[in-house]
Amino acid sequence: MPGPLPRRKSNAWWNRGWPYRIILLRELSAVAVAGYMVLLLLLVCNVRGGEGAFADHLEVLQSPLLWLVHAIILGFAQLHTTTWFRLVPKAMPLKLGGRRVPDELIVAGAFGGWLAVSAVVLVIFLVVA
Amino acid sequence: MTSEATAARTVTLEVFRYHPERDEEPSFQSYEVPYREEWVVLDALNWLKDEVDGTLSYRWSCRMGVCGSCGMMVNGLPRLTCNAFLREFLPGPIRVEPLRGFPVERDMVTVLDDFMGKLTEVKPWIIREQEQPVEEGEYRQTPSQLADFKQFSMCINCMLCYAACPVYEHEEEFIGPAALALAQRYNLDSRDQGNEQRQRLIWSDEGIWDCTFVGECSAVCPKNVDPAGAIQQAKVEATNSFFLSFLPFTPPGMGR
Ligand code: SF4
Ligand code: FES
Repeated sequence: MPGPLPRRKSNAWWNRGWPYRIILLRELSAVAVAGYMVLLLLLVCNVRGGEGAFADHLEVLQSPLLWLVHAIILGFAQLHTTTWFRLVPKAMPLKLGGRRVPDELIVAGAFGGWLAVSAVVLVIFLVVA
Repeated sequence: MTSEATAARTVTLEVFRYHPERDEEPSFQSYEVPYREEWVVLDALNWLKDEVDGTLSYRWSCRMGVCGSCGMMVNGLPRLTCNAFLREFLPGPIRVEPLRGFPVERDMVTVLDDFMGKLTEVKPWIIREQEQPVEEGEYRQTPSQLADFKQFSMCINCMLCYAACPVYEHEEEFIGPAALALAQRYNLDSRDQGNEQRQRLIWSDEGIWDCTFVGECSAVCPKNVDPAGAIQQAKVEATNSFFLSFLPFTPPGMGR
């Protein structure tokens, strides 16, 4: 007599609804972030190559394709940050005075810090520019 | 509620059927069951078993979300069927399957041996190096110490979290969400001294490091245990401990 039905697995698990799809995109976002690192390294190399190489680099950056690439990377970077920030309280719960700090507060703190750092970067950029 | 379902007062259940002595392959069978506002999916299955087909097999006991035995896939999501109202799924059909990720004994009855074995392996009980004599009284705990692990102690072993976990689906060796959450529940208990005994298994590849933080285990957990949180906290501890092991001394407060 045949026994129990063996456990089944499906490679389409990521397509079982939005939570799973977003997780896959979240993992994929690391590739986009790594891609941006490559772009930055190319920039450093070209800066090292002298004024001509740098000017060429700037010109390449103007191309529509690279605008598109940057837009995609920016989107993924936002997804990366927001998804992981929302998970912070799970990995690092905080206790104050013997009580757990509400998860929402920790997430709000992370987003607040992000905004603050972004504001500082913006100010530096405006001052330098 | 749609007018159609109210008028007909029935709803279609598509039920997974597999009897190893009879069927080569599993199949779905459709049944019309009476629709009642207050019925849960488990009520509909009980009605089917009583009125239509007594061979329909599934587990249940408490009917109040406590025993953890009635977990099934309902329309593709792991649910306690005693806690899933028919009205949530109108107009139907409602597809009922055994929990994903487990071998199927018969209909919705899954084989639990793998989970039970893993549960024992993580030693989910208080371990003491030496029991304190009874005269010294009970092991006391402050509310704050209790708060450290209370959430993780609410687990009813329903295994919905395993059915939601794609890692467990693909890697049977993975100890999995509930067992890891229970290990963490005891590791965080101020009365317990079994941390080191559990560590080798918990901190292994089949333990916390197999987890890629999909987080759906916590989303489907009917008791808000948050196994994903338990696993990530254990990862943080394991990482801290790895780096601290390079120091020639133990920093205060890190010696657990
Ligand atoms: S952690 Fe939640 S979903 Fe998993 S077995 Fe325990 S109660 Fe069920
Ligand atoms: S029958 Fe006990 S949890 Fe559903």
